Amino acid sequence: MVDEEEQKEYRWETGYEKTWEAIKEDDDGFLEASVADIIQRAKRKRQAQKQGNSKLGMMRHLYVILDCSDSMSSQDLKPTRLLCTVKIMENFIEEFFDQNPISQMGIIIMHNKRAEKISDLAGNARKHIKAINNLKQTSLIGEPSLQNSLEMALRALKLLPSHASREILVVMGSLTTCDPGDINTTILNLKSEGVRCSVIGLAAEVHVCRRLANETGGLYNVILDDCHFKDLLYQQVDPPPAALTLESNLIKMGFPHQMSVEGTEEPLTMCMCHVDSTDEGSKLNTGGYYCPQCYSKYCELPVECRACGLTLVSAPHLARSYHHLFPAANYDEITYENQTVICFACQKNFSETDKQVYRCPNCTKIFCINCDIFVHDILHTCPGCATNLSTFQIAHNTTQ
Amino acid sequence: MNNLEIPAETTPEFTSTSETSLLVVIVDSNPSQKMLRDNPHVLTHCVDSVIAFANSHLMQKAQNKLAVMACHSKTSEFIYPGPNKPLDVRQIDGQYEVFTAVEKTIKHNLAKLLANEKSTLVTESLLAGAIAMALCYIARIQRTKPPGCRLNSRILVVTGSGDSASQYMNYMNVFFTAQKQGIVIDVCALDQHLSLLQQGCDITGGLYLKVPQLQGLLQYLLWVFLPEPPIRQKLVLPPPVKVDYRAACFCHRELIDIGYVCSVCLSIFCKFSPICTTCHTVFKIPGPLAVKSKKKKIKL
Repeated sequence: MVDEEEQKEYRWETGYEKTWEAIKEDDDGFLEASVADIIQRAKRKRQAQKQGNSKLGMMRHLYVILDCSDSMSSQDLKPTRLLCTVKIMENFIEEFFDQNPISQMGIIIMHNKRAEKISDLAGNARKHIKAINNLKQTSLIGEPSLQNSLEMALRALKLLPSHASREILVVMGSLTTCDPGDINTTILNLKSEGVRCSVIGLAAEVHVCRRLANETGGLYNVILDDCHFKDLLYQQVDPPPAALTLESNLIKMGFPHQMSVEGTEEPLTMCMCHVDSTDEGSKLNTGGYYCPQCYSKYCELPVECRACGLTLVSAPHLARSYHHLFPAANYDEITYENQTVICFACQKNFSETDKQVYRCPNCTKIFCINCDIFVHDILHTCPGCATNLSTFQIAHNTTQ
Repeated sequence: MNNLEIPAETTPEFTSTSETSLLVVIVDSNPSQKMLRDNPHVLTHCVDSVIAFANSHLMQKAQNKLAVMACHSKTSEFIYPGPNKPLDVRQIDGQYEVFTAVEKTIKHNLAKLLANEKSTLVTESLLAGAIAMALCYIARIQRTKPPGCRLNSRILVVTGSGDSASQYMNYMNVFFTAQKQGIVIDVCALDQHLSLLQQGCDITGGLYLKVPQLQGLLQYLLWVFLPEPPIRQKLVLPPPVKVDYRAACFCHRELIDIGYVCSVCLSIFCKFSPICTTCHTVFKIPGPLAVKSKKKKIKL
C-alpha cells in the first residue's frame, strides 16, 4: 500500500533532485556524462524500491494530458518541444501497452485555454499513436488550461468501476495555466475520486503542479534533457501501487479461441472491430477470435466485446503482466575478489576492470553489471535461479 | 568454375560480410528423462545429430556463430564455447579444424557434465532457465558486436522431456523477452508434445516440430531448422498448428472459456470465490450480478 501522506519537502530539499550538486562538468566541459550517471543511479534506486508482494493497480486507466500551447514550440528540446514529446510519446505508448496489456489509455490536449480529447479511453496502441502523430500538424496557440483538461479527464474516469486504477499524466511545457475557476477544488475532487495525477514539467517547477501531484499521490518531476524526459516518462510504464481506496474485485473475462471443427473450413465472416469503421473497412476472412459468450468475432485481442461487454483476453496477455507482481530478486552489489571467472549468464570473462559484480541472494550465482540490468529491466527471471531445481520457484513461492 | 565466381561478385558486400547468424542450441541431456532412461544410447545419437547440424550451420557462412548448451535439472551449462580456452586441434583427415574443435569440445564438456551429475531421479529439465541464459549470452554478443554489423540470433531447443506448468512464469518471461529482442525460438520435441514451448514458438515466430522418428533426427534438423527464418517462408515446411491460448484456472488447472480474474494479482478462477487464494484479497461485491452492472457503466 502506498503511503499517502503529503510530502512537505521542497524540491531543493530532496535527495535526488539536488541537481546542481550532482551535475559536474567532465574534462571537456560537457555535462552529458553526469546526466547519464544520474539516470543510471536513479534506475538502480528505483529497482531497489520495487518489491514483490505489494498490491498494484493492474487494470490501469490512464489519461495523458499533453500541453499543446504556445510554449511547446520552444526549441530547448530538439527540434521543438512538441516534436520531441511526440516522438518519445510514441515509444511510450507502445511500451505501456506491451507491459500493461489489459489497461486503457486516452489522450487529451490543452491549447488555446481549451481541452480537447483526441482519443478516447481504449486499449489499442495503434489508434493512439495515430492520434499523437497527427499532433505534428497542430498549430500551437494560446495558453493551456490545466483545470479544463483535468475536469475533462475526471468526468471520464469517474464512471469507471471501483477496481480500476485511475491515473492522469500531465506533460506540461508552459509555466502558466489559464483556468475558469479555482483549481484547488478540482484537485480536491481528483483526490476524493482516487485519481493519481503525475506531472512531468518541461520547463521549471510550478507550484500548482507540485500541489496537484502531492495531493493525489502522484510524481512530479522536471526534465533535465530529452534522455531524462524519456526516463521519467518510462517510469509511468510500471503500474503504481494500488491506492488505499482501490477496491478489489473479481472480473469476469472471456478467453476466446479459434473455432475449428475437424475437417471443415471456418465460415467467412467479418470481425466486429472493423465492421463500422470508415477508414479501415472490414474484410471477409476465416480466422479470428470468437467471444465465448455471444460468438461475435474479433480480429485481435485484448478487446471488450461490443455485443455483450465481456472483456476478452488471451492467457499470455495476463502472463505478460505477472512480472510486475513477481519481479526477480534484486542482486547484491559486491566487490570483485576473484569469486568466479565468468558471469554465470552471459559467460563474460571478468577482468581487472570489473570492480563490482552482482550476486543473486537466492541462487548465489555471480553476474556482471550488464546482465544485472538486462535481467531486471527486460528478462524478469534470474537465469541462475531458473536453472536450479531448488530455486526456480522461489519468486513464485513467496506469494503463496 | 565461372558459375561459382559470378554470384560471389554480384552479391553486395553488406549481405555477405556484415550479417552474422548466431545459433544457440540447447540440448536437453538430463539423464533421467524418460527417453534416456529407456535407452541411454539415444543420447549419443542425438548429440551426434546436433553436432552435425551445428557444423552445417557453421559451414553455411564463414561469419556464422554457434553456441551449444546442455540443460539439466540442477544446472545448465555452455558446452560450446566452453569456459576454458579453446582446444588446440590439428587437421584430421582433411576436416576443417573448426568442425573438429566443435565436436571435441562438445563431447568433452558433455562427458564432464554427465560425470558430475548425481543420480537423482528428477525428470524435469529446466529449459526456461537455459533459454534465459541463452538470451543473456545473445544480449552480450549483441552488445559487443562490431558497429555496422547485423546479428540475427535464434535459439533451438532439442528436448525429450515434458514441460510442466511449474515453470509457466519463467517460460512466459523468456518468450516475451525473445519476442522483444527479435530472437526466434525453435523447438524440436523428441519424445513428448510440449504445449508451453509450442506457445513460445508461436509468440516468437519460430517453428515447432515433434519428431515422428528419432532415427531421422539429423534429417529433420537439417530440413526444418537449418534455413534462416527469412528463407523459411519460401520453403514448404510442416504447417503451423493452431495453438490453444486458453487459460488454465489456478484452482483446478482446467482450461476455461469464461473465468474470473482477480483485479489485484490477475489470478484466474473458474468460479466466483470471495477470497483470492493467491494474494488473499477479500473481494467486496459478492455475486456476478454486481459486476455486470458495473460493466454497463463503461459503455456510457
